[in-house]
Amino acid sequence: MLEISNLHAAYGKVQVLHGISLSVPKGKVVTLIGSNGAGKTTTMRAISGMLKPKEGTVNLGGQDITGLDSHKIARAGLAHSPEGRRVFATMSVKDNLLLGAFPRFTGSRSRGDIDTDLQKAMELFPRLRERRDQLAGTLSGGEQQMLAMARAVMLNPEVILLDEPSMGLAPILVDEVFRIIQRLKHEGMTMLLVEQFAAAALAVADYGYVLENGRISVHGPAASLQNDPAVKAAYLGGNAQH
Amino acid sequence: MNKKTLALSVIGIAALGLFPVFMHNPYYLHLAETILIYAILLFGLDIVVGYTGQVSLGHAGLFGIGSYTTGVLYLKLGLPILLALPASIVVAAVFGAVMALPALRVTGPYLAMVTLAFGTITQILINEMSFLTEGPMGIQITKPGWFGQKMDETTFFYLVAVLMVVALIVVHRILRSHLGRAFQALRDSPIASDCMGVSVYRYKVYAFVISAALAGLAGSLYAYSEQYISPNTYNFELTILFLLAVIMGGRKSRIGSLIGAFIVVMLPSLLADIDLFRQISTAAAVIAVIGAVIALVQKRKTAREIVVPVVATIGMALFSYKLENITDWRLTIFGLMTLFVVYYLQDGIVGFVSAMFGKGPRHLIAQSGAQAVDESLAIANAGGERVGVLLSARQLLMQFGGLKALNHVDLQIAQGTVHGLIGPNGSGKSTMMNVLTGIYKPTDGVVEFAGRVISGTTPSAIALGGVARTFQNVQLFGEMTATENVLVGLHSTFRSNVFDAMLHTPRYLREERAARERAASILHFVGLSDLANEEARNLPYGKQRLLEIGRALGLNPQLLLLDEPAAGLTAPDIKELIAIIRKIREHGITIILIEHHMDVVMSLCDTVTVLDFGQKICEGKPAAVQADPKVIEAYLGGSVSEELSGAAHPVATA
Repeated sequence: MLEISNLHAAYGKVQVLHGISLSVPKGKVVTLIGSNGAGKTTTMRAISGMLKPKEGTVNLGGQDITGLDSHKIARAGLAHSPEGRRVFATMSVKDNLLLGAFPRFTGSRSRGDIDTDLQKAMELFPRLRERRDQLAGTLSGGEQQMLAMARAVMLNPEVILLDEPSMGLAPILVDEVFRIIQRLKHEGMTMLLVEQFAAAALAVADYGYVLENGRISVHGPAASLQNDPAVKAAYLGGNAQH
Repeated sequence: MNKKTLALSVIGIAALGLFPVFMHNPYYLHLAETILIYAILLFGLDIVVGYTGQVSLGHAGLFGIGSYTTGVLYLKLGLPILLALPASIVVAAVFGAVMALPALRVTGPYLAMVTLAFGTITQILINEMSFLTEGPMGIQITKPGWFGQKMDETTFFYLVAVLMVVALIVVHRILRSHLGRAFQALRDSPIASDCMGVSVYRYKVYAFVISAALAGLAGSLYAYSEQYISPNTYNFELTILFLLAVIMGGRKSRIGSLIGAFIVVMLPSLLADIDLFRQISTAAAVIAVIGAVIALVQKRKTAREIVVPVVATIGMALFSYKLENITDWRLTIFGLMTLFVVYYLQDGIVGFVSAMFGKGPRHLIAQSGAQAVDESLAIANAGGERVGVLLSARQLLMQFGGLKALNHVDLQIAQGTVHGLIGPNGSGKSTMMNVLTGIYKPTDGVVEFAGRVISGTTPSAIALGGVARTFQNVQLFGEMTATENVLVGLHSTFRSNVFDAMLHTPRYLREERAARERAASILHFVGLSDLANEEARNLPYGKQRLLEIGRALGLNPQLLLLDEPAAGLTAPDIKELIAIIRKIREHGITIILIEHHMDVVMSLCDTVTVLDFGQKICEGKPAAVQADPKVIEAYLGGSVSEELSGAAHPVATA
């Protein structure tokens, strides 16, 4: 569904990605793990057009979306739930969700579909239903994260990029976030996931890539990465060196 | 000063010195003089616009005040330039302070409105106060005296040139000093500035005053240069022209100000002469084409991105040859050029050129590098006698409308401990942080720190009293380097004032050297020596969090508040973080730690307090808290947590 090949990206003069290739098959969850500064968030940003790649291609369902503006990439069916959530703080929860579906408002018939999806999103995230008229900025951190994910779902996208969905959440909510990722996966959603809890990410993912200094160092089925001693030692905080 | 700057300054000064020798045409001499005068004003405007990030639409007014102070003193009292010039500087500076006072309350568009009103009122008052200013008639002034005779145009040009160079050096030194760093800090994150002990309000006013003083100097010189001043010179258009000059030339750059001044002074004459206009638009088209080819070859731009500027400049060049008469088109052309610059050269001409040649002025080679870093400098021992309880909060109530974010919470922090603060999202932990650091004033209750009541005082006073913090959403000064970020944390170590910074007195040089040494050792301490000269916004997230801790250490805190330092960090980074926090505690600094990673909390904290819905639900040793059923229900969750975050618990992955 999402094919990235030989992606290079830089912030100004600082080259961050040195030729990343990865693929996210339809209906699968793929996770990208690596230490801080390895380039995980940069990869996400280069895919969704927030940062223009210097080289390489990004292909979404057969369509070349390399270097397009991010709003066009969103229209092409790629939703990005960014690091640090970034909800529209002064708008209500419901309006945040409707904005997530903004590119889908194409005529009177689209209304009905979007309303159905709004109901579905609120089923998936019951907390948001309770707070639908509250301003997003007044939600707690956990609720804002739910909202950011729900907003991405509202685009009815082909692929969702989830950047650090559990960041800054209480342990009880971390569980909740992973349960939701699991549910989305069961519903057939294609996802690319970056997570600080690498072990938990590998547990939910089908396939994993390890990013080191802007390059893919290891990749393989999630289960095999989980048991790879090198990966365990470096990223899972495991007991290999204890 | 590096070689390039030195060479550039020598060439610049030589050009200024030789200009009148080769250019005898008084018209061009006068134009050059005007450019230099505008440049002085623009140096000042750039402090406000480029460095503190405020918008001022009042600088034409300040310029006018400078001119009219000189004019009136000359007309009414016959004062010589030696008195009139300083008087203009002082009067304009005072008005700058007056204009800055509303900056306490307003920012952004509102501040722009206030300054606009100031500029307009100034112009009207000059016009109306005919008893002082001769009203719309204006004031005639002769060139200043010089060894008993009047200065000729050339001598006055040299005077202006010398003052411009002096202004350039003074402004440059101020901006490179702790004051300049404070200005930039309050632009990038006001809240973090306050929490580093840099009072946002005070430094905004400083910036306006220094800026206004330069406008006063420029105004005074302008009066002598034109030999006639009248109110309608200092109108709104002039203000806009000044702002355009800063933006076109390039903000945060003295060369940018000079280029900007050159453009806005030369544009009207350029647009009056059709031949000159043809030559320049041809030159612009050639530069655009060459630049586009270079960018394409180096793959920095795609063909689509460059097509518009290239076609536009070529079009402009062709159009210039079709034109018979340029005067009718002046404003249109001026407008188009402005649009072009604002759209394509957002960093101004200087920014564009340095991007073109790939030399950001920022990326200097690490001076201190890895060698000879004295890590013992990083943290001064918080020491002090053990007072037992360092911080005590009693019955804190923080109410937002009907919501009680903190509902009568007591908190006692013992000296030398790491005190964990945990709880579900929205339970009031961050509110507690903000109350303790003075960002919020509690609705009720008292916070006592080291025996003194601190609730109700300002964040910067609390910071200077020894309470430093980091932020949940990283609040670094993005456009400043890692070193400069730490230097802002060290701001309170400076006793030097603005004159010390201007004159590079021994005291200032000593303090700056000491601060840079400490900054280097602090960066080494948090493991960022390699990234010392990188802009903070380019650092990866985990490094940004470490930099925030380093910046906070600069305050020599007794108490350090860490707000989710491990958020977004992967397992290996977290190990590094834990080691750094341990080292900080070993130096006797007390720490309050808000964190969701239970492994961090468990391995570091001596005591843990759990908040839920703004109330304390549990407090005690970490292990006891972790086993408390109320905490498990509200916060930790059931068994799934252990499966999923197994990574975080080495035991679970055995």
